[in-house]
Amino acid sequence: MTAVAEWRLLVLGLGNDILTDDAVGLLVARAVAAQLKDHPEIAVHETTEMGLALLDEIADFDALILVDAVQTGRTPPGHIHECDIADLPQVTATSPHFVGAGETLALGRRLGIAMPERVRVIAIEVADPFTLGTQPTTAVQKAVGLAVDRVIALARDGF
Amino acid sequence: MPAPSNRITIDPITRLEGHGKIDIYLDDMGDVERAFLQVPELRGFEVFCRGRPAEDMPQITSRICGVCPTAHHMAATKALDALYQVEPTPAGRLIRELVYHAFMLEDHALHVFILGGPDFIVGPDAPPAERNILGVIGKVGVEAGQRVIATRRRLRELIAYFGGKAVHPVLGLPGGVSKALDPADLPRFRQLAQDAVDFAAWTLDVFHQLVLGNPDYVKLITSDAYTHRTCYLGMVDAQNRVNFYDGKLRAVDCEGREIATFAAAQYRDFIAEHVEPWSYMKFTYLRPRGWQGFTEGPDTSVYAVAPLARLNVADGMATPRAQAAYEEFFRVLGGKPVHHTLANHWARVIEMLYAAERMLELVHDPMIMSPDVRRVPTAVPRAGIGVVEAPRGTLFHDYATDERGIITAANLIVATGNNAARIAMSVERAAKGLIKGGQVTEGLLNKVEMAFRAYDPCLGCATHTLPGHLPLKARIFDHRHQVVRELVQE
Repeated sequence: MTAVAEWRLLVLGLGNDILTDDAVGLLVARAVAAQLKDHPEIAVHETTEMGLALLDEIADFDALILVDAVQTGRTPPGHIHECDIADLPQVTATSPHFVGAGETLALGRRLGIAMPERVRVIAIEVADPFTLGTQPTTAVQKAVGLAVDRVIALARDGF
Repeated sequence: MPAPSNRITIDPITRLEGHGKIDIYLDDMGDVERAFLQVPELRGFEVFCRGRPAEDMPQITSRICGVCPTAHHMAATKALDALYQVEPTPAGRLIRELVYHAFMLEDHALHVFILGGPDFIVGPDAPPAERNILGVIGKVGVEAGQRVIATRRRLRELIAYFGGKAVHPVLGLPGGVSKALDPADLPRFRQLAQDAVDFAAWTLDVFHQLVLGNPDYVKLITSDAYTHRTCYLGMVDAQNRVNFYDGKLRAVDCEGREIATFAAAQYRDFIAEHVEPWSYMKFTYLRPRGWQGFTEGPDTSVYAVAPLARLNVADGMATPRAQAAYEEFFRVLGGKPVHHTLANHWARVIEMLYAAERMLELVHDPMIMSPDVRRVPTAVPRAGIGVVEAPRGTLFHDYATDERGIITAANLIVATGNNAARIAMSVERAAKGLIKGGQVTEGLLNKVEMAFRAYDPCLGCATHTLPGHLPLKARIFDHRHQVVRELVQE
């Protein structure tokens, strides 16, 4: 971690590695890491944590790409949603179980912690994030490659 | 920059399926007959575990929940002790306890300031735009907010020191732990424990000033809307004082009289599961009393777990400042047991003080520096049950293996399961007050949410980060069980 000061952008994969499709953010981050290895300004991390634990993870970066699973029920599994952090709820936390990325950023800023100025969210629509398993469903597996390409394009070219 | 495929859309994510579903059934007069919160089940747990070495269980189960990894890790580790019939060495036990109390303190702190904060620190009548974490910071001050975050970070560093990382610790082994405490590191942990006590005491002061000093809040806490006369369950030490890590389980009735005190290994004789035809959920109850329905009063078998329950079942706290706070709690709220669900927030602050004081005791126990942190088991494994008090209540892990220690059966009862019947009663009471003759009062979902939020139920632990809030959906059924209305709180 000695090179942290050099890194400007963080790609952060979120998810649970034993809950079937919920692992997709981690899988995307892993593949992105393999391709961006040794990049001087881009760090790629995976985390199974959520909520406020992300504060320590994202502090001090200029920009952030979050990769996560989502289940809106409005698009088919494998669909890739992309949004700006401003589209996420900022301050509606009612439980430590549900402190979101938007809230974490808002809190960090309020407390004077250096938070990324630019945040992009890549969320892959999933079919099954509730069954224990280490193999994502087919549609979600197929989406990994596309999501990886999109994340790398954003990371290299900016957003 | 163009998107590389038309499958990518810019789409604000506003809703997550599968969380927080409330079903309300009306009778033929249009009044509420039954209402309950549907908790999504984690599927395939036993199938996933079967055929794996039992030693993997502390790692597997710590992944079940992103909020309570250390509780699952510790319950699983204790189940392994039982499975291999081995007691941890004194240092192994002290290190487990130190890590566990650091976890309880940081989780409770998060809960007090983030969950309870918007309701009690900002205030239940404050405008919705202020009833959030930034509103809490506005009230307690930026410095106080920084103190909460910094203390939490240091506690997590302690957990990571022993477990490698805070979220999925690799610490517990049957008979002990994987890492000893280097005496050179002791001074900073002693400083942390002292700071933790100061932090918890300060939190209690904040609670006094902002909550107990406000008659409206006290009125809300003690109001009938949030009161249920049920039984309680929690773990106690040999002197019947609150214990998070080890001890016997004690159940008391709604008058505070002891129903039973039993060892974890006997839990099946005392805890049973009831299934209702209208739900796939299992509602636990106290087996010796039989299922008496969703009832309150002297004969009920419904019980609650979590901070309030722990204080209700115990005769006191094992540390001096927590004991003083415990006495004040029951004095102010009119004696034991306290039946006000919202008093969980106050009980949680008292438990913060206990967790911090216990950490301080542990880091001053010379035995904690012993390098002898593990006793290697030699017995043939068969079955093991482990129990801890998780932040949200009693957590049971129950495993069976073959003679090689390969899992053949695994079952968990989590805190939300233990609380399920009482949560159903709270949701039903709120719904009954808000729906009459088929007419639904405005703000139904917000008020129902408040009724179950004090329990902080775990609503399935996946895909949580987005959108980052708890979407609620209520379905209202008529007496023919046809959906007549759906309400969604985005």
